[in-house]
Amino acid sequence: MIKIENLHASINGKEILKGLNLTVNAGEVHAIMGPNGAGKSTLASVLAGREDYEITAGNVSFLDKDLLELSTEDRAREGLFLAFQYPVEIPGVSNVNFLRTALNEKRAYHGQDPISAKDFMALVREKSALVEIDPKLASRSVNEGFSGGEKKRNEIFQMAMLNPKLAVLDETDSGLDIDALRIVSQGVNALKSPENASIVITHYQRLLDYIIPDMVHVLYDGRIVKSGPKELALELEERGYDWIKESL
Amino acid sequence: METGTLNKLSLFVEDLNETALAPNALKDAAHEFLAGQDFPTTRSERFKYTRLAKLANAAFSAAQSVNEVQIAQSKILIDAYTIVINHDNIQIPKNLPSGIEVSLIAETQIPFNEAAFYDIFGALNILHASLGISIHIRQNITLDKPLQILQINSGGKTFYRHHFSFEKNSEVAVYFISKNTEGHSSFAHTHFQYNIAKDARVKIFKIQDTNVGHFDFNEDRAKQAERSHFEINTITLCGSFVRNDAQVIIQGEHAQTYLNGAYWLKEEQHVANYTTIDHRVANCESFETYKGVATDKATAVFNGKVFVRKDAQKTNAYQSNANVLLSENASINSKPELEIYADDVKCSHGSTTGQLDENALFYLRARGLSEAAAKNLLLQAFMEDVLAYVKNEEVLAYVHKRIAARFNWNY
Repeated sequence: MIKIENLHASINGKEILKGLNLTVNAGEVHAIMGPNGAGKSTLASVLAGREDYEITAGNVSFLDKDLLELSTEDRAREGLFLAFQYPVEIPGVSNVNFLRTALNEKRAYHGQDPISAKDFMALVREKSALVEIDPKLASRSVNEGFSGGEKKRNEIFQMAMLNPKLAVLDETDSGLDIDALRIVSQGVNALKSPENASIVITHYQRLLDYIIPDMVHVLYDGRIVKSGPKELALELEERGYDWIKESL
Repeated sequence: METGTLNKLSLFVEDLNETALAPNALKDAAHEFLAGQDFPTTRSERFKYTRLAKLANAAFSAAQSVNEVQIAQSKILIDAYTIVINHDNIQIPKNLPSGIEVSLIAETQIPFNEAAFYDIFGALNILHASLGISIHIRQNITLDKPLQILQINSGGKTFYRHHFSFEKNSEVAVYFISKNTEGHSSFAHTHFQYNIAKDARVKIFKIQDTNVGHFDFNEDRAKQAERSHFEINTITLCGSFVRNDAQVIIQGEHAQTYLNGAYWLKEEQHVANYTTIDHRVANCESFETYKGVATDKATAVFNGKVFVRKDAQKTNAYQSNANVLLSENASINSKPELEIYADDVKCSHGSTTGQLDENALFYLRARGLSEAAAKNLLLQAFMEDVLAYVKNEEVLAYVHKRIAARFNWNY
C-alpha cells in the first residue's frame, strides 16, 4: 500500500523527520505513537502534501506511484485520506456541497461520471448513520461551530464518504470524550477491509483499546525507533517513552 | 474658463451642451463650484485612490443607438416592467399598472433636492444632464412585478438624472442595470434622487456590468422618512472604471437603511464605493456590508462614512468592508469612518483585507478538490452574505453566469 523509505523533511530549515522508514500493506492497521515533538503530525502533513514542509531526502511509494510527486488533491484522488488533528472551520461552505464536489472530482480523475443527486443523498444518509452524525450537521457549514467531538466525527464521516485506500488518522482521539471515542472508532473499524489500510497516529494508548492495530511503531526524534505487536502500546502506556530513549 | 489655457476639464466639457433641466439657482451654484477647477488629483481626499488621468485623457467614440436585439439581450429579468434608456432615447412600457407613473424628466416638473456638490461630477450633472426618468409610486401601492431599468451606454458622454418618489406605504423592487455596447468608449454619470416617504419599503438593486472602455460614475442621494425601509444593493460584475457614491439622509424615526455592495475585479479594473449614512433622528438602524474580490492589478476603494447626529439617540449602525486579494498586484483601500455626536448609540465598523485562508484551501485540497475548485468554494462562501440580499432567481443566475464566464469560477 505505502512504503516510506529514509524520509527526511524539514520546516523553516529545521529537520523534523530524519530518515523515517515504514511499510504498510493492504488490510493492515498500523499505530504510530511517540512523545510530543517526535514528528508524528509532520509525518501526517508530509504524506498529505502540505507545502510548508521541504522534503530533503527519501522516497514514498503509494500504490506503486511516487507519492511525493503528486499534488495534494491527486494524493486524495488516488485514495489517501488525512483525518486532521485540527479540522478547519470553513464558514459558508456546506459540508454536503463540498463533499459532492470532492467526490465528483475524484470520480472525474478516475474517468467516472458524476454521482447522481439521489445516489449522493443515499450515501450521505448511510454514512452519517455510521458515525452517528446528525444528517442536519452534514448540511451545515464545514465544521463551523462544531464541538471538538463533532469535528472528529465529521472527519470520519468524510472518510466514509470518500472511501479511501489509506487513511491517516492524526491524533483523532485528542479532545474526545469516551462516547465520541467509541463512535469514531466504530466508524474506523466498520470501514476496515482487506483492500484498505490505516495509519493511526496517537499520543495515548486508549484509542488502541478500540482500534486494534496490527503493528505499533514508536516515532522518536524523526525516526521509527521501535516496532512491535499491539502489546507494545500497552508497554508504552505503562512505562512511558524514557526506556526507549535510554535504549537508543 | 474665462482666462488662461484650457485645462483638461474644459476640454472634457467642451462638446457638452448645457441643458435646461435644473433651476437657474442650482446651475449658478454649479458654475460657481466649477469655476477654475480641473479634474481632481489624488491629492484631493475624495480621489485619493482614484486616478482620473485615464478619464481626462480618454477619447470617446460617437454615441450610437442600440437596436432591439441588443436591448432584448441586455435584459436580465423577463417578468418585469422594463424601462430602456439609451443614448437619446427612453422606452417606457405602456402596460404599467395604476399607481406608478413614469415620465421623462425633460417633460416633468421635478423637485431638485438642495445642492450639495461633493465633487465636480455632481456639479457637471446639474449643468449637463440631458436624459432621465421620473418615477412616482403612489401611496399604498405594492408593485406586482419588479421594475427593471436598463441603461445601455453606446459611446459618447452622457449625464443622466433619475428621480424616484416613493409615497407612503408603497413597496417596490427596482433593478437598475447598467451595460455598455462593446467597441465603444463612453462616459456616463448618473444621478439618482430618491425620496422615500414614511412606511415605504424600497429595494434598489444595481447590476453594474460594463466592459472595458466605459466609465461608470454614479451618485445616489436618498432621503428617508419615518418607518421606511430602504436598500441599495450594488453588484459590480464588471467595469473598467466604476465609481459609486451613495448618500442616505435619515430624517424620520424607526427607519431602516441597508447599503450593500459586492464586487469582483480583475485586470486593471477600478471600482470605488463611497457611502454616507446620515443619522439625523433617533431610533434608526443602518447596516452596511461591502465585500469584494480582486485579482491581477485591479484596485478597489471603500470609503464609508456614518454620521450619528446629536439628536440621533438609540441609533444602531453597523458597517463592514471585507476583501480578498488574489494577487500581489491587486490592492484595496478601505476607510471606514464613524462620526458620533450622540451618547446612547450602538455603532460598529470593521474592515478586513486578506488572502484566502491557506488552511482552508489545504483542507479542501486534501479531500480531492483542485486548487481552482477549492478557491471557488471559498470565494463563493465569502460573498454569500452580500448576495443573500438578492432574492430574485433570474438575477442570481445572471450573477453566477457572469462570474463563471469572467473568472472561470463555477458557483
